[in-house]
Amino acid sequence: MAEAASSTIEKNNLTLKSSYGDEFVLEESIAIQSVTIKNMVEDGCSSSVIPLSKVDTGTLIKVIEYMKMHSSTSSNEEEIQNFDKEFVRISIKTILNILEAANFLDIRSLLDLCAEAVANRIKNKTPEVVRKIFNITSDFTPEEEAEIRNETPWAFEGDLDHSLD
Amino acid sequence: MPPKGKKHGCQTAPLDILCSFPENVIDGILMRLPLREAVRTSILSQKWRYKWCRLPELTLDLKNLISTKDSVPPTFKFTNIIYHLLTHHTGPITKFALSFNSDLMPCPTIDNLIYFLSRNGIQHLDLKLSGRGDLYKLPSSFFTCFQLRYLTLQNCLMLPPPACKGFELLISLELRSVTISPKFLERLISCSQLLERLVLDIVGLSGIIEINAPMLRSFNFTGEISSISLKYTPLLTQLSLADTEDYEGLRECDIAKFFESLSALEHLQLNQDSLRFLAAGAGELPKRLPFNLNCVKRLRLANIYLGGSDVVSCALCLIRSFPYLQYLEIEVGDEDAGIPALEYLEVEAFSDMTFNHLREVKLIYTIGSEPEMQLIKLLLAKSPILVKMLIEPCLEVNDDAYKTVSISRKLNSFRRASPEVEIDYNCYYD
Repeated sequence: MAEAASSTIEKNNLTLKSSYGDEFVLEESIAIQSVTIKNMVEDGCSSSVIPLSKVDTGTLIKVIEYMKMHSSTSSNEEEIQNFDKEFVRISIKTILNILEAANFLDIRSLLDLCAEAVANRIKNKTPEVVRKIFNITSDFTPEEEAEIRNETPWAFEGDLDHSLD
Repeated sequence: MPPKGKKHGCQTAPLDILCSFPENVIDGILMRLPLREAVRTSILSQKWRYKWCRLPELTLDLKNLISTKDSVPPTFKFTNIIYHLLTHHTGPITKFALSFNSDLMPCPTIDNLIYFLSRNGIQHLDLKLSGRGDLYKLPSSFFTCFQLRYLTLQNCLMLPPPACKGFELLISLELRSVTISPKFLERLISCSQLLERLVLDIVGLSGIIEINAPMLRSFNFTGEISSISLKYTPLLTQLSLADTEDYEGLRECDIAKFFESLSALEHLQLNQDSLRFLAAGAGELPKRLPFNLNCVKRLRLANIYLGGSDVVSCALCLIRSFPYLQYLEIEVGDEDAGIPALEYLEVEAFSDMTFNHLREVKLIYTIGSEPEMQLIKLLLAKSPILVKMLIEPCLEVNDDAYKTVSISRKLNSFRRASPEVEIDYNCYYD
């Protein structure tokens, strides 16, 4: 009896493997929020371990945390909203990693959440600060920069925020 | 051991990691920024220069254009922005939201913008003009935006070409302070068989509009109710009516006929003048409608004067016809403490019914008048499963400690049909 029960549970579990080789066991019903994983399950490729060569361990832990919360039937809308708010209170580097993973795994709501979070980080910031946040080196000459500012002065006027956070 | 300086490294990403992401991901981020912010990314680096130009969704808020310090006239600025957009953007634009101050009113520029949008597959258009300027007359190209699914217009004038039938794919239509012929508005609504959401804030419609909308779920109307007729709205679940007509006793309304086609209604909101309109039938108001509306769960009455017998009896007629009502909110308006008790608010007048499903009652801006107290007494005595009654006094009462104490005392003396009910007399002291 106990064996039968455990085998049905096993049937509904999937193993996800991060790029570092760490394995995570997750219920199928939770994991298929990822359209990529859902397609794999439907194509019958999920019998063994699903390798996620583009997702590192730390990112995968966060993604699983998100999927677990969003498939939980016991939490209400407000709890999920609060969870989302807290979830993106992390470094921009981590958000970008999750964003990349959400795009690869095709989890629409997580992609939207991270895109919104990235947009909020750069809203009202000076171009210099945005460059710092994304680690971009400008390859414009001062003349080119002046030309761009001149083309769209309305985009650069007003009081912009110089702070990093 | 982590290398030194890692703490600072956490703040920033690996070298322009974002730029290596797929285009749809970058677009997803930029579309969540107002256009001004998205355009500013053009200065980040060569790779970023034209990224904003292919965004399919743009939000341009130019309400505050006037207030900048430089000497460039706002109209000139506005024109420059739109032309920069028109010359640089490539690919489809499915969504465009523009808000600006109509006092500028550079019409040819907006005409060109709308022409551009009409040729680029616009599906979602928000055009919100504010200010005291004239209405903006929509150009003929607007009426060729056949892909439109969501449309919001504010302070516009709609003069369609005679052949224009409307927009067949519309799901949501919101018109505020728009001048439109009743005939075209009627056509616009009935041509959109998919319409689910309708918001009309239009005062001075000269004629009656018959609303035929098989998929309509939500309708908010501000204006003269006598100018609309809900002919066929079988799925309407949410209805809000705010009447603005000066009531002179000239109108006639058949209240039963008005609610006849609203069998799916769940949420209803009415203001004082809407109730007066509904009460303006020939002869005396019926005690209840000839049929019950069993889906109605929430009723909100705004700005109600409890001294007006027509308004109160109309409200009671509706409440009697909503046997499954769960939530009732009444916002009291212009009340005076001197109005006398009303006979039909007596508990005895309700021997024929109980509010079997009412769970929550909210009374806002109460002054402690006789009819208010009667109403509270009635609801407490007749609602066996009431969970919460929230009573918020208006400011004058709140400041009068003697009065609040005497009202609290009264409240405690009323008989309660529900053993669980919590009465929250929400006055606050400085």
